[in-house]
Amino acid sequence: MVQYIARRLVGMVTVIFLVLTIAFVIVRLAPGDPAALLLGPEASVQDAIDLRQKLGLDRPILVQYASFVLNALRGDLGTSIFFNQPVTQVLADRAEPTVFLALFSIIFAVVIATPIGIFAAYRRGSFLDQAAISAAMLAASIPSFWMGLILQRHFATTLGWFPASGYGGPDATFLERMHYLLLPSLVLGIVNSALILRFTRASMLDVLGEDYVRTARSKGMGELRVVLRHALKNAAIPIITVVGLTFALLVSGAVVTERVFNIPGMGNLVVNAVLRRDYPVIQGTLIVVATLYVIINLVVDLLYAVIDRRVKY
Amino acid sequence: MNKLRNLALAALLSGTALSPALAETLEVAIIGEPQTLDPMMSTQDVVSIVTQHFVETMYTFDSQWQVAPLLAEALPEISEDGTLYRISLRHDITFHDGSTLDSADVVDSLNRWLSVATRGKGVAEQVESITAPDAHTVEIKLSQPYSPLLSLLAFSNSAAAIYPQEVMKDGDLTAIVGTGPYKLVEHKPDQYISLARFEGFVPRSEPSSGNAGGRKQVPDEIRFVPVPDPSTRVEGLLSGQFAYADALPVEAFDRVSASDKAEPVLLQDFGWPVWAINHKAGLLTDANIRKALQAALPMDDMMFAAFGDDKFFKVDGAMYPEGWPWRNETEVGLYNQNDPETAAELLKAANYDGTPLRILTSRQYEFHFKMAEIAKMALEQAGFKVEMNVVDWATLGQQRNDPALWDVYITHSPFLPEPALTDLYAPTSRLGWSNPEKDEILQQFTAETDMAKRQDLFGKLQGQLLSDVGFIKIGNFASLHGKAKGLHGVDPSPWPAFWGAGAQ
Repeated sequence: MVQYIARRLVGMVTVIFLVLTIAFVIVRLAPGDPAALLLGPEASVQDAIDLRQKLGLDRPILVQYASFVLNALRGDLGTSIFFNQPVTQVLADRAEPTVFLALFSIIFAVVIATPIGIFAAYRRGSFLDQAAISAAMLAASIPSFWMGLILQRHFATTLGWFPASGYGGPDATFLERMHYLLLPSLVLGIVNSALILRFTRASMLDVLGEDYVRTARSKGMGELRVVLRHALKNAAIPIITVVGLTFALLVSGAVVTERVFNIPGMGNLVVNAVLRRDYPVIQGTLIVVATLYVIINLVVDLLYAVIDRRVKY
Repeated sequence: MNKLRNLALAALLSGTALSPALAETLEVAIIGEPQTLDPMMSTQDVVSIVTQHFVETMYTFDSQWQVAPLLAEALPEISEDGTLYRISLRHDITFHDGSTLDSADVVDSLNRWLSVATRGKGVAEQVESITAPDAHTVEIKLSQPYSPLLSLLAFSNSAAAIYPQEVMKDGDLTAIVGTGPYKLVEHKPDQYISLARFEGFVPRSEPSSGNAGGRKQVPDEIRFVPVPDPSTRVEGLLSGQFAYADALPVEAFDRVSASDKAEPVLLQDFGWPVWAINHKAGLLTDANIRKALQAALPMDDMMFAAFGDDKFFKVDGAMYPEGWPWRNETEVGLYNQNDPETAAELLKAANYDGTPLRILTSRQYEFHFKMAEIAKMALEQAGFKVEMNVVDWATLGQQRNDPALWDVYITHSPFLPEPALTDLYAPTSRLGWSNPEKDEILQQFTAETDMAKRQDLFGKLQGQLLSDVGFIKIGNFASLHGKAKGLHGVDPSPWPAFWGAGAQ
């Protein structure tokens, strides 16, 4: 196990290094000048040249890369061009809304998807099974920005149950901030429940036909116990995989929903950073997201062994 | 709780249901995070809108866009030859850090402005010295008369902002400290910029007019919330979250009009889309091809495609709308010709060889792109070959600096109170538009101080612009903002101010 984790950690570092190298090259290959953007539309060519020099963007790309890698190894992700703040601080400010948004969304998704998935598998071929599959397809097909706008218009603008956007002002309490996240979480929960539902159903279908389920039933065990204790436990590995990956995707990819609801999270940050050509922030966000992704992958893999004793590393 | 109580009280007193937007904290949705909170360093409108509340200038504009004193006691005494400006400062001004304004602060601030601000750099060559004969007087000595100086000192955009000496170090600011009616309390990037009433503020005694006169301090807190998505700004306004929302999509007009919580603010003649022309290199260095381009463009179709409803635009060839002192009709017949035959003849006269006309535009501002789409068809009909280069704004901002990459780039501008603030006229601009006659008129225009003569000279400049096709104004467009019902005290402006905003 220890050896396995060590091997995975080495792989993790390689992946992260590759990600940051690719990110570095891609953002610099893209046209667009952060200096011109910062100065505004009427700035002269010379103003932009001066600012580029001040920001160190006129240095050769290899020098910039070497300095970026060396600093990153020391935990210094550079200074945001736009905010003039350390990237680590900018990212830390944005982490909270994104993490809570992802957490609530995954809770919504799991709460919606797993019981329906289990039930659909249990009543395979029934009207309710068909309805569940159709609903899942519908949820997966609706673009999240559209669903976001519709729910925002209905529940925030018309009914006034939720704030339309944002994350609260300076005096907002923790609970008030969470109130801001409920509606966008619901949107992401619905969208992401589709995949979890289908995985749950498929995985349950696999195990419900197994011998040990039949044996449990023949011993006279109650249906609920059969389904939840025997079948669900064995069907859990693919479900956990998909839930874990969905969570990782939510942390890194709730871009559209964060934008529609104007949540100052990492998704919104990275979109703005690309528009502003804020290279250090783009790189920093990618490093953090890649790290998170590989960590979640590792945790999911380790969970296999906890859930299923047959899995050995 | 306090908020709720005040809200209930306000509702009771007024007899109407007030939205939360009109509580003591005024939330204003702006189009995005300002690039900086130092207004010297940016020409972006959103920077001006926010910073004018806490950083002030020597002069400002009144409701008629006339220069009026702000931190200065009065308009300056100008020497006969127009080269010496003597400015007396108000005596009772305190900065937000508690220090008192004196001429040393002004001298340092203005010197910084000349060296770091885009508009300051533009005038720097003509400034011989800025001195302080005493603690409350500042003298600006110019090498030659330069009449736009006062407008430059008054403008909140790339502003000649006045800071205390102590916060300026090697061209940088160590803190944002101003003299405005509101002070900066907290800035959470991408979340909010929170301003609180500055208790040490002493307003001017004159009646309030535009940004001039006695500035009020109505809301306890003004909170600017960056909301980059336009439909999110609309929903925020309609749900009552925001008291004011800047730059709404024109498609939202009917919804905002029908709302019981909000109402539209339509700022007619807000600005003008402009086709910037490359005079330094490429196809359009040939005057006949420039004239062919101008002759072929169908301005009415372009404006209609871009703005959809004539409530939101005017097809108008003069450089300033009705009601402005700079309005004149010189050569406006050359505008909106929509004449492919004339264009084709001009192309023939220029021996046009089919080299593509490269139009650099962006979808960041959808109306730029829509105009270009319509124009492309008309230009092709006239015989042009057209190559559209559609990029994001960051790329456009970079590529337009290289004259080898474009023939036309599309941008827009608000109507500025002083024509010389539009740098497109200057031969030194990115466009490089220069001919001896125009350069001479421009030189006279910036040196002249008599308003009637300046108006006449501007007419000649407009004539040059249209006959030599320096750049092309496409029309006038309106800007849609929205405000909570019952909100008063905000004058419609490209740079609205909120110190006087509240429920009445």
